[in-house]
Amino acid sequence: MFHRKRMLDELPQDIAEHLDRETEDNIARGMSPEEAGHAARRKFGNVRRVMEDTREVWIASWRDALWQDLRFAFRMLRKNPGFTIVAVLTLALGIGANTAIFSVVYSVLLKPLPFPDADRLVFVFDRLGQQSNTETGISFNNLQSLREHNSVFAAMTGAQQHQLTLIGYGDPLEVDTVVVTSDFFSVFEQQPLAGRLFLPDDSKEGAPATVIVSENLWRSVLHSDPAILGKSLSFDKHDYTVIGILPASFHFPKIKPANQIWIPLPQDPLFGPFMKFHGGHWLPVTARLKPGVSLAKAQAEMDTLSAELVRELPAENTGWLVRVRPLHQVLVGDVRTALIVLLAAVGLVLLIACANIANLLLSRATSRAREMAVRAALGAGRGRIIRQLLSETAVLGLFGAVAGILLGWWGVRALTVLLPESFPRLNAIHVDYFVLGFALLLSGLASVAFGLAPAFLVASSNPNTNLREGGARSGQSAAGRRARSVLAAAEIAIAVVLLMAAGLLLRSFSKLTAVNPGFDADHVLQALVSLPRFQYHTPQQWNAFCDALLARVQAQPGLQNSALVAPTPLSEGFINLGFDIVGDPVSSANTSRTADYVTISPGYFQVMAIPLLAGRAFDERDAASRPPVTIISSALARQYFPNQNPVGKQLIFANAPYPTVPHEIVGIVGDVRDANLGDDPKPMMYASMAQEPMPGALVVSRTTLDLAGATAAIRQQVAAIDKDLPVTDVFTMPEVLSDSVAQPRFRTLLLALFAAMALVLAAIGIFGVISYSVSRRTQEIGIRVALGASRAAILRLVSRETLALVVAGLAVGIPAALAASRLLGHLLFGVSASDPLTLAAVSLTLVAVAAVAAYLPMRRATRVDPLIALRHE
Amino acid sequence: MSTKEDRDRIDLLQGTLDLLILRTLLRGPAHGHAIAKAIEFNSADVLQVEQGSLYPALHRLIKRRWIAVEAGTSENNRRAKFYRLTAAGRRQLAVETSKWDKLAGAIARILRPAE
Repeated sequence: MFHRKRMLDELPQDIAEHLDRETEDNIARGMSPEEAGHAARRKFGNVRRVMEDTREVWIASWRDALWQDLRFAFRMLRKNPGFTIVAVLTLALGIGANTAIFSVVYSVLLKPLPFPDADRLVFVFDRLGQQSNTETGISFNNLQSLREHNSVFAAMTGAQQHQLTLIGYGDPLEVDTVVVTSDFFSVFEQQPLAGRLFLPDDSKEGAPATVIVSENLWRSVLHSDPAILGKSLSFDKHDYTVIGILPASFHFPKIKPANQIWIPLPQDPLFGPFMKFHGGHWLPVTARLKPGVSLAKAQAEMDTLSAELVRELPAENTGWLVRVRPLHQVLVGDVRTALIVLLAAVGLVLLIACANIANLLLSRATSRAREMAVRAALGAGRGRIIRQLLSETAVLGLFGAVAGILLGWWGVRALTVLLPESFPRLNAIHVDYFVLGFALLLSGLASVAFGLAPAFLVASSNPNTNLREGGARSGQSAAGRRARSVLAAAEIAIAVVLLMAAGLLLRSFSKLTAVNPGFDADHVLQALVSLPRFQYHTPQQWNAFCDALLARVQAQPGLQNSALVAPTPLSEGFINLGFDIVGDPVSSANTSRTADYVTISPGYFQVMAIPLLAGRAFDERDAASRPPVTIISSALARQYFPNQNPVGKQLIFANAPYPTVPHEIVGIVGDVRDANLGDDPKPMMYASMAQEPMPGALVVSRTTLDLAGATAAIRQQVAAIDKDLPVTDVFTMPEVLSDSVAQPRFRTLLLALFAAMALVLAAIGIFGVISYSVSRRTQEIGIRVALGASRAAILRLVSRETLALVVAGLAVGIPAALAASRLLGHLLFGVSASDPLTLAAVSLTLVAVAAVAAYLPMRRATRVDPLIALRHE
Repeated sequence: MSTKEDRDRIDLLQGTLDLLILRTLLRGPAHGHAIAKAIEFNSADVLQVEQGSLYPALHRLIKRRWIAVEAGTSENNRRAKFYRLTAAGRRQLAVETSKWDKLAGAIARILRPAE
């Protein structure tokens, strides 16, 4: 290398000196200087071509060798199409699965959120006590207080979201509405596409109603109206002046980037009134850390300020702590564990794939040992032989990589369709250059991994022995046999780990779906009717509407068994409220009491088949004019009235529109899992809808009608009362149940798929080793048969080898699986990480698969014809 | 410049040029121009070669470690790069020469079989 550089660098000077000498000679012969120069150059020839030819001398050798290697490798692969196809497909599966899962991991976990300096964005929330893990929003009053007194945040904003109905542009359209305090756009550091963003004045009391629309909404629904700024749009029959358009690149996290609008909090008909409700933990807060401020420092300051909030409003804030978490972490949520588990799983699948290909290469290398011996004898160096073998695996790896990346690209598209809609950052998932780079790197590493072992094995084997031994029997070195068995056993061990994880998730999922939600979902459907808050703004109006709606719906054939409720269990939101027990005030020692709050019409428990355990259900007695009543769940009774009869006791709800009124407990009903099927039922309290109505409600019906028929009937009745009201969120209850476990279902399916891949690959590995072993021992088996060995004896001989592989695989795999399943953590539900039943099933599955994989070669062994076998050589 | 007719010249085979260079250097180190001159002189201008094609050949021989390079001064005290035969080159020359002799002998027998 050193030679080459120096020689080439000096070449122009060498040539110049040569020409000088020739010129001088020519002058000495009597030529004129000019003629002498020309003659010298003519005799020398084309200088540039000489330099090129000289450079070629140095480059050609390794380039030719590489080209030769690659061409030869290609020829060898084409000569063995079976081997090539199996190897390329195996590798493609491994690379494809890794590419697909990695692109999800990269897009969701690794890529920063699409905001400037997104790592400084944090989520600020309230937590009840140290031990609780419920994260709630904070009250508007507390947000104001924190914003004034903190020194760690550059900006803080509260943002809630719901839907408003846009009227005047075609059919009434539900738009995703983000309700924000004035600092919202400073926190996310956004600039408008046109117009302006909110100023503090827009949030003042009495300010005109303003709205900022998304570019998407402006382009699609508003037909890119160039004069939209300053115009009025009617949301929920209330006029808002458009002041700005926000670029499509920005969208509020957690909402699909479709039709969004932003309005100031005081202008919102739903959340605006909550601003004065100091006891509510309803406003999710996002903040931007000042540069250089650590999360720990921000948290320390929030701890101090939490104590001050308690001093300020002891009744509302006692027991609550303000906590800070990175926004990215909050948005990603518990998907992280699932994704890491899936990534580990595909990594293991790739390992098995590599082991399989290494095994294939080893058996090929053994049969080619003689060829290699000839090459070595003819003077090929060890390095040259290794290089040739490696270039074969490199070509193989390249094919595998291309096929794998195609498979992965297709897999990502399939994933984004199959992923549950609630999956965080779903729209950010796609294959980009980073993912492609990862896939290529992985393929390269894989090629080296499965290529090196056979290459060294062949290169280190003794050419003399290989030449002396016959073709078919050559290269049966003990090292090679051991390597193949170790690889197959390792494949089994890895398959055990994956099967165990998949088995545990499957068991968890079946337990999760077998959980009794507390109500009977069959033949129940739900439909949401929300009321425009400006048109229907008093509880009396809501009440009148709900009464009329329920009466009309119940009058329909097939819909007699209907009720109203808000909210339904396992739907998007649940309302967690604090409450007090009259005569048993909260002492400073015990923390606040909270329960999930649901307001229902009479007949709700009957429709949902929630059992009444004591007292009575609501009926027409519980009208607005009568003393407030409540029905509590069995969990609330157990937790807060141990060894007492709660019926007759009184609760005070910390509820915004209906504060501080004692509610008499008139009944106890069964528990309902309202937030999550996987969580224990939480304490719940039900209010009478006639006494505490909401602006809208969900109709629930137990009916034998199909969804379309029932929905049409409900729509008709709603339209008869008010033709502008939309009916949305129409689902059957079984659908709601199924949607609530969409994420566990998804990860379980994927892991099961990967485990199945691992199992198939391991089976191929076992098949390879046993069939190779049988063909190697054909002669031995022939002799045994000739000497009178029975078929059973031969079978025992071969199955002993299979069994040894499986036992070795299980011996390593089971402890590894037990250790690995602990990583599944909270993904498990109702099974322990070392569930013996799953472990037994996994072991049995592997033994069975090994038996199937070994069946063909074993059968071949029992049919060995001693005459043919003895002539085999 | 050449005194012979073009059709009388024999294009040098690559291996032959290598052999001629090694042969020339057997008499001692020489610089590029001197090697070219010597080949021209020894072959009595029969073996015509563009002088430039000497250089790829020299590099090829260096790469095979048959010749080595050393700095020196030429007859009129100018800086020059001298090429010298290595031990490996000397061995190679012996092998090549005997091969060449055999080949030449074979050709000669074929051309004058009855002599």
